[in-house]
Amino acid sequence: MDRKIEKLKKIANKIRINTFHSITKAGGGHYGGCLSLSEILTVLYFDSMNLDPKKLKDDSRDRFILSKGHGGPALYATLSARGYIPLSSLDELDVPLSKFPKHIDRLKLDAIDVSSGALGQGLSIAVGMAISLKQQKKSNNVYIVLGDGECNSGQVWEAAMAASKYHLNNIIAIIDNNTYQLDGPTKTIMPLEPIEEKWKAFGWKTFNSDGHNIELLIETINKAKEEKSKPAIIIANTTKGKGISFMENATYWHAGTLSKEQLNQCLIELERLK
Amino acid sequence: MFDRIGEIEMIGDMVSTQETYGKTLVELGVKNKDIFALEADLMRCSGSKLFQDRYPDRHIQVGIAEQNLVGVAAGLAAMGRIPYASTFANFLTQRACDQIVMSLAYNNFNVKLVGSYAGITSGNNGGTHIAVCDIAITRSIPNMKVLDPGDSNEFRQAIIATSKDEGPTYIRQANGPMKTIFDNSHKFEIGKGYKFGNGKDITLISAGITTSLAMDALVALEKDNIKARIVHLPTLKPADSVLIIECAKATGALLTIENHSIFGGLGGLVSEIVSKNYPVIIDNIGLNDTWGLNAPFNFQLEYFGFTVENIIKKSKKLISRK
Repeated sequence: MDRKIEKLKKIANKIRINTFHSITKAGGGHYGGCLSLSEILTVLYFDSMNLDPKKLKDDSRDRFILSKGHGGPALYATLSARGYIPLSSLDELDVPLSKFPKHIDRLKLDAIDVSSGALGQGLSIAVGMAISLKQQKKSNNVYIVLGDGECNSGQVWEAAMAASKYHLNNIIAIIDNNTYQLDGPTKTIMPLEPIEEKWKAFGWKTFNSDGHNIELLIETINKAKEEKSKPAIIIANTTKGKGISFMENATYWHAGTLSKEQLNQCLIELERLK
Repeated sequence: MFDRIGEIEMIGDMVSTQETYGKTLVELGVKNKDIFALEADLMRCSGSKLFQDRYPDRHIQVGIAEQNLVGVAAGLAAMGRIPYASTFANFLTQRACDQIVMSLAYNNFNVKLVGSYAGITSGNNGGTHIAVCDIAITRSIPNMKVLDPGDSNEFRQAIIATSKDEGPTYIRQANGPMKTIFDNSHKFEIGKGYKFGNGKDITLISAGITTSLAMDALVALEKDNIKARIVHLPTLKPADSVLIIECAKATGALLTIENHSIFGGLGGLVSEIVSKNYPVIIDNIGLNDTWGLNAPFNFQLEYFGFTVENIIKKSKKLISRK
């Protein structure tokens, strides 16, 4: 187990570093919300989800929705680490007409199940997928990562009610709870707390985890998979901008561009992750 | 209850579109296990209860949550299923507009949206319930097809045709009963316009409930010695531009008649096509930058000029300006 965790930690760091470089090469972008995702995506793609990069459209695969579509660069870095796309494709982020827009697009990249970018819409789509799987008595799961900010949106709660009504225990949702959104801290923009109680009240089985602790994430997702009657949600507490000291918990770095001095500091800090 | 499923209604019959919708979904659902019906607490208005009774595990009720309705339909389509999602035309295209754009059309998911109580067929519900811009909204969305069938037989054929077609589609459903104007010989195809008559004085262009009216007007115009023809456009996108241009050339004057705002709907699309290809004089009958009324359907028909008399008056004026 320890060796596996150590290996996944290394992969997560690689994903964090590659995410950073691809955004930087593109001239800047959503550093904050991408860097908070590294461990969550690592655990999903390297442990939790049933998938095979060689069988892209295999019907028995688990489905994945990155509802916070601006996490695209982090997902591309993960897909590259998992063998879906070559490492060199990360240089194509934001290149005109490439397969790698900052907000993911399923019609451009086969490895993506659902395009996203307009926040608050992913959970409804997950509900439709999960209903389809249940109606056909299939055992696949639907995994979805939401941003905490997008839980401002009323549609998320419409979908939460529907998932509960239809007993969609095949949905495993993870909130990248980095507590910041574009205009500032979530608690000042639109307070979400008590977020766990909200989901409980909507009929979900709730879990809490450190969103950067790989061992804990694996353990929590495994528990969520065992839930037999309700949809499950994991509040994964993360740090926005994780890994770059001046980006951590700094509103500006939801999305931004680095100065030369800042870039040099980033490179020194990332070197320590290797 | 199901013995009449698949039967064709007779010309002149007044037929409930609700009955048609429910029966046709069941007819499809028997053969195709991927057909789903979704509702947002207006099932009694669309008529999908028949489908719910027969296939409860493929009938999804999301409550008064139109955004979620469209999103759930997108998710079903992502799994290869064929969802028909229905609610009032205005709530569907206005409340859930962004979900139609982003979750459906941008993903190019194979979802069929059914906008019930289309336009003034909503009747006495008042302006909040009358969709006047649903065609303008859906027609401007990339990937979307837009249909407005002329009677229950064509509505049935449109539902069947869309189940075999790929891609997001918006289908208007009038609040019935609708007068039957097409018999068994009428073969609906997505993208095809239908010409009735060969008159060379004017073309009446209609869709949905206004084609029945245009047919009455054709007979009345003949009595006034005005030779007209009708172009019925049950598909508003992609519209049959070849037929529209052919009729613009043949008659030199076009009168569009639509159960919708004259901006962005049938009148708008006909103007877009002829102005680029063969400009001729055009006038419109429809809602002119205004809301529907708190009045019965027949009252609104008169009020907005959906009458044979108004079509004759406007036709004569157009012909005089040629």
